[in-house]
Amino acid sequence: MEKVLLKGNYAIAKAAIKAGCSCYFGYPITPQTEIGEYLSEAMPALGRGYVCAESEVAAINMVMGAVATGVKAMTSSSSCAIGLMQETMSYAASDELPVVLISVMRAGPGLGYIYPAQGDYNQAVTGGGNGDYRTIVLSPSTVQDSIDLTYKAFYLAQKYRNPVILLSDGFLGQMMEPAVLHDYPYDEIDNSSWALTGAKDRGARQIRSLEVNQEKQNAHVYKLFEKYALIEKEEVSYEEENTLDADILLVAFGSMTRNIKAAARKLREKGLKVGTFRPVTLWPFPSKRLLELSETIKNILVVEMNMGQMTKDVKLAVNGNAKVYHFGRPTGKWVNVDEIVQATLNLGGVSYANI
Amino acid sequence: MQTFSIPKSLKENMIYTFCPGCDHGVAIRLIAELLDEFGLKENALTAASVGCSVFLYNFLDVDCVEAPHGRALACATGIKRAQPDKFVFTYQGDGDFASIGLAESTHAAARGEAITTICINNTLYGMTGGQLGPTTVLNQITTTSPHGRNREYHGFPLKMTEHIALCDGTAFAARVSLDSPAAIIKAKKAIKKAFEVQLKGLGFGFVEILSSCPTNWKMNPVESHKHIREELTKVYPLGTFKDLTEGL
Amino acid sequence: MPNIVIDPKKCKSCYLCVEACPRKVIKISNISGKTGSNIVEFDNTENKCTGCALCAISCPDLAITEVNK
Repeated sequence: MEKVLLKGNYAIAKAAIKAGCSCYFGYPITPQTEIGEYLSEAMPALGRGYVCAESEVAAINMVMGAVATGVKAMTSSSSCAIGLMQETMSYAASDELPVVLISVMRAGPGLGYIYPAQGDYNQAVTGGGNGDYRTIVLSPSTVQDSIDLTYKAFYLAQKYRNPVILLSDGFLGQMMEPAVLHDYPYDEIDNSSWALTGAKDRGARQIRSLEVNQEKQNAHVYKLFEKYALIEKEEVSYEEENTLDADILLVAFGSMTRNIKAAARKLREKGLKVGTFRPVTLWPFPSKRLLELSETIKNILVVEMNMGQMTKDVKLAVNGNAKVYHFGRPTGKWVNVDEIVQATLNLGGVSYANI
Repeated sequence: MQTFSIPKSLKENMIYTFCPGCDHGVAIRLIAELLDEFGLKENALTAASVGCSVFLYNFLDVDCVEAPHGRALACATGIKRAQPDKFVFTYQGDGDFASIGLAESTHAAARGEAITTICINNTLYGMTGGQLGPTTVLNQITTTSPHGRNREYHGFPLKMTEHIALCDGTAFAARVSLDSPAAIIKAKKAIKKAFEVQLKGLGFGFVEILSSCPTNWKMNPVESHKHIREELTKVYPLGTFKDLTEGL
Repeated sequence: MPNIVIDPKKCKSCYLCVEACPRKVIKISNISGKTGSNIVEFDNTENKCTGCALCAISCPDLAITEVNK
């Protein structure tokens, strides 16, 4: 298939349609509004559902209602408004509903502003809702990833009956680059055993999280965690380059991956053995692979546009085997390649003899 | 001839867990009777609310998803947009519908979603033990208005049916009570209309039911019904506030 | 012959049926129910019941399970 020039947000919207998303519910917020704008034309034309919701709270609950009937549905939003949706994400996790949430990060905390940031790693990965639960978090770094991972978000949500967050950011949402808009590559999942279709020839189905019996509540949470263990076993995804001989590892997620790759090339030119590592799934986190890498690589620089949210998970992964540093800034200005090169050169414990 | 039997849309052999004299039991039975009469049970989907009304799904044999507090009508909107051929309804308390969920409730009505909503108004938060809610009337004593609702201090209660009737998308809006057999028969007629406007695609159907909460009102069930009849209807007049089926 | 079937396990002694009955054929019995108060009973010794079912319509607990005219 030919490559077309696509804006990140439109790529997500187009992929959602090709993935068979039956309903979209949304509320405007920069920098993701193009998703809702595009779908407001496309969804009715296809006879699918679209509601300009009264709030993000309403939008995510509309998604919950729609997916409970067995169809694919999603909403999209950003940062502070994703915060508004966390209650329902907790409900959806407990109810095992395949909610798909597109989160295009802007700056925070609070209202912040519309410039890009990666400050919602914790919000997405550790969840802002109540109780013990997990959401699958997929992190694109290119417009092509935005397509591929939108497909994967729908597929994993259905496969595991679990909420999935696609964690994009203001750079990826607004940038244009060539990408192939291929077809949805996954099999359709049969959900006839649980979806609400009307109590015909069977007893009524309840999709609920209220449980007045504590033994049953315990059993329910244990069952959820068995599923989470399976997801951790089966669905970890990452991308790494030049790690075989590396003694410095640059780690980033999302759009910052682009700059650590460029920085690593420059550093290699300077003679430093630098590899790169990018978690594609932020949950489940590729902890096992990072631990393996830390057997030979003793210096890890995590570059992210926040105050070190993923750095904490990298530290937990390597468990003291390597020194883990954070480099970045909370918001706004792209952490550029030369800054990353300089930060790498300034790392403690690295020999600069060959430079 | 049998003049009364338990509706088929209720779960077999279930026993209501509501307090003695609580009107929830009658309200849910009326919904079940109408589901039977319209033959809708197998085609109905509901979004449950939070509060005593949530237990609807323990009694009604209808597929259900439980919405977070106040979000039943957002959830129901999602259901209806995904499955336009299903009969979709919500059963909510006044706190759920008119306080935490007022935005979702109002906008579902304003959009004219083909959904039916039955709202139980017992003028307080019943499940948590009787706190001041959006519909608590002036001078009413609750656990968070121990000296009575004061207009200067707590402000005024909200009139849901009047509010919903103002929305262009509302096809039917009525306030009823269950304080006597005659009132119950009238209430059923109103709920029937709220079903019909959905089935005919006319828009949003809404029935507010003035309901007793003897436990939190600290009255016996018979006194509670007298209180509805003689006091609450002064603040919340009964009647049909909007009906698009008229003249059809 | 009009008849009313009361399920004593379901009666919570709210007495709304007693209030509703125009013929006063539902009475408070001497048997205590699950709330500790006495439950209701059908007493049609004077054959006044018409089977109108207003009692069943009023019962919030479906304790009146069947009415026949």
